[in-house]
Amino acid sequence: MENIPSMDVCLKVQGLNKSFGALPVLKDWDIELGKGERLVILGPSGCGKTTFLRILSGLEKPSGGVIDKDNLKIGFVFQEARLIPWRNVEHNIKFVDGQRDMKEILTRLKLTGFEHYLPFQLSGGMRQRVNLARALIIQPDLLILDEAFASLDLKIKMEIIEDIHQLWLDEHFSIISVTHDLKEAVLLADKIVISTARPSRLKRMIPVPPEIGRKIGSSVFLKMESDLVKMICED
Amino acid sequence: MKVSLPGKQSPFFKGEINSLSSKTWRIVKCRTKAFLNALQIAVGITLVILIWQGLALTVNKNIIPPPWETLRLFWVEMFSANILFATWQTFSKVVLALLFTMIVGILLGLLLGLSDSLYEICRPIIMLIQAVPVISWLSLVIFAWGIGWKGPVYIASISLLPISILTTVSGVRNLDKNLLEMARVYRVTRQKILKDIYIGTLMPFIVAILDVSIGQAWKVILVTEYLCGGKGLGVEILMARMNIDFPRVWAVTLIAVSLGIIMEKSVKFVLWKISRRWMFV
Repeated sequence: MENIPSMDVCLKVQGLNKSFGALPVLKDWDIELGKGERLVILGPSGCGKTTFLRILSGLEKPSGGVIDKDNLKIGFVFQEARLIPWRNVEHNIKFVDGQRDMKEILTRLKLTGFEHYLPFQLSGGMRQRVNLARALIIQPDLLILDEAFASLDLKIKMEIIEDIHQLWLDEHFSIISVTHDLKEAVLLADKIVISTARPSRLKRMIPVPPEIGRKIGSSVFLKMESDLVKMICED
Repeated sequence: MKVSLPGKQSPFFKGEINSLSSKTWRIVKCRTKAFLNALQIAVGITLVILIWQGLALTVNKNIIPPPWETLRLFWVEMFSANILFATWQTFSKVVLALLFTMIVGILLGLLLGLSDSLYEICRPIIMLIQAVPVISWLSLVIFAWGIGWKGPVYIASISLLPISILTTVSGVRNLDKNLLEMARVYRVTRQKILKDIYIGTLMPFIVAILDVSIGQAWKVILVTEYLCGGKGLGVEILMARMNIDFPRVWAVTLIAVSLGIIMEKSVKFVLWKISRRWMFV
């Protein structure tokens, strides 16, 4: 798997292995992520994509390999919002001790006016926005998206992806996301890596030219999508 | 010129009427519900007094005195220095027992809830304590401390402790692991996790422990005061029984019951106020 020569490296993963008992999940994963670079991981269900994200965020220990992520501030957008049910939106965001201005983040994520709402009073899309706001309030160097939009309808998904894109343009944090949605992958990526089934290896790395990523529905965008389908089904 | 026809209103006006009437309707509905509740309680109390009166007429009048006589004595006794002192004695014991049960029970429950092996080790002891009848504790307590306040407080605490521990264990096991993981990812401080996640999750369980324990604590304290207490309402009931003064037995019992209910309602009200910070109210 070739790597794109790029800017300053913010994360370097070498020979990463993970097994759960006798069950090998990740095998020799090598990933290099530049500062401000966006990486999307595609692969079959159960291949260990989420396990990789959990290792990065410190929730799991690797069985082998090296991860170089010195003092990296990580914001994690979970698949389910994981909000404290008895705390309102503002308190849920403040819970993670962010240094960023609360008002600004609420405005940018269209949450103004919902500060005092409890999670159960919000729609799924709004809850995911709070989930994202909580990740961004800490001013992360790396934003992790773990199938963050899987349960949202297309319109809301596109709106949130657009919001993330705008925030990324302004702040240039790095992003690693895991998804099964190819459109989402092309929209959110500078490069896409495809993993095999378990025990998973990274079999291919595809750079996404910026002009493709913003032209949803264009012929180049659609071609990229169909190429991805072929590559995923290659095994 | 636009002329509005009689009986026809603009949608805006119509909407205003509808919203006003629905608001009024809600108030009327609430008040009717409250009135019906009060009526039901009044009917219940009347029924109790009627049955009581019936029993007083049919059973021995000395054992079950008529309600008016008991209520009159209840009113007189309630303000006598002797009963006020006894009430204070019993009340302090109930508070002490509840404090012990809550603090020790919740702390132990937290520990046992977090460690499965510790829970399995301690489970037989908890089961044993739960199964030991009050009367067995009483015998031990009389030998250990004789007559006094320690016995009732100890027995009430030890009887309520298993409920408190087991309910807290259920609460800890009910903790949302996803929330704890989220807190770990963001390296949230332990104090914050305890305040925002643990207490929030445990709050309904703490309310449930108090809900069960208050009434139980009053009953156990009264019984143990009766059998080994130095002072208190239980001792007053014992004295009245020894003097074959049954109206006084009933009057003091009524004082104890009323105080138990008042304490339960007050604690629940305070808890409701506090727990609003953690609950969806």
